[in-house]
Amino acid sequence: MKNYEELNGLELDTIREIGSIGTGNAATALSSILNCEVRIDMPEVRIMGYNEAIEWIGGPEVITAGVLVHMSGEINGIMLSVQQLEFVNMVLERMMGRTISSYEELTELDRSALVEVGNIMISTFVNALSGLAEITTRLTVPAFAVDMQGAILAVPMAEFGGQSDYIMTIGANFICHHQAVPCRLLLSPDIRSLNFLLKKLGVLDGQ
Amino acid sequence: MVNKLVVGIADMKMARNEGMLITYALGSCVGICLYDPLIRLAALVHVMLPINMETNRKTPLKYADTGIRETLRQMEGRGAARPRIVAKIAGGARMFEVTGGGSLGNIGMRNVESTHMVLRREGIRLLREDVGGTTARTLLFDVESGQACVRSYGKPELIF
Repeated sequence: MKNYEELNGLELDTIREIGSIGTGNAATALSSILNCEVRIDMPEVRIMGYNEAIEWIGGPEVITAGVLVHMSGEINGIMLSVQQLEFVNMVLERMMGRTISSYEELTELDRSALVEVGNIMISTFVNALSGLAEITTRLTVPAFAVDMQGAILAVPMAEFGGQSDYIMTIGANFICHHQAVPCRLLLSPDIRSLNFLLKKLGVLDGQ
Repeated sequence: MVNKLVVGIADMKMARNEGMLITYALGSCVGICLYDPLIRLAALVHVMLPINMETNRKTPLKYADTGIRETLRQMEGRGAARPRIVAKIAGGARMFEVTGGGSLGNIGMRNVESTHMVLRREGIRLLREDVGGTTARTLLFDVESGQACVRSYGKPELIF
């Protein structure tokens, strides 16, 4: 069984490719919801220590919205859509015709729009992944929270904390109307699922 | 200017006489302040999981049981006496309401239960706590006064 930090170049490239296909599909879905052109830049795969991951996402105390879905079946893990204010405003502007300056202004309707957008992006990502590896995956109903992003990011960490001191994230920037909006779509499979996935795709080295 | 020491996840810091120990964004994690008021030695440990079941135990501070014991050991190494040490804890929230998501939603609660149990076994008096709920907490501990403070999103500061 290979842990996150033991992956070689080919394995990381494969995960990056999964990320590319997944986020590409998610961008297409987002584009049709928002009715505007959405592109993605180069997706990145990162394997980080806990505290490093929190710095990378922009500091622990910054308030953010998160949509979280649990995957089970042949792949177990968590998928998280971290929606920073810029992204929230892009969605609200296109769907509701307004923007907000802080999360406290979110109405019930805004929240369900954000959950729905997050859920559709996550489901599209997971569907693309499942098609690619020919596996079946079940998803839970999405959960939504607005809070400090350090605590939101700690959810997948705690879930797999017994297996690893690292967290793997796959993310990309979305470019909507030539404006780059960071959208962190984070896939955190557990170690067993990661190995299973790499084996399925025929790239797992040395087992 | 008060000297500020930031405690990360699965991390512990100690300070004597004065200064501020701080750990950010405790979600399901638990922050445990341990304090010997006589010699004004304080430690803050940020644990993520309830029980250490790792075979080689590389990161004792990630778990409530080994994290508290390791912290107590280091405090005693610097002159703290077990009967004087008191504790204040915060954290153990449930960040997402997940249906059918396995143990996910309960990690916070289990962290708090494990912390209670370990403190009791080690004979440490738990003075105050701010645990559970659904919001993240930033925990600050003032070494000079032994006072803890919790900051959450959309709530007034809580001093205890």
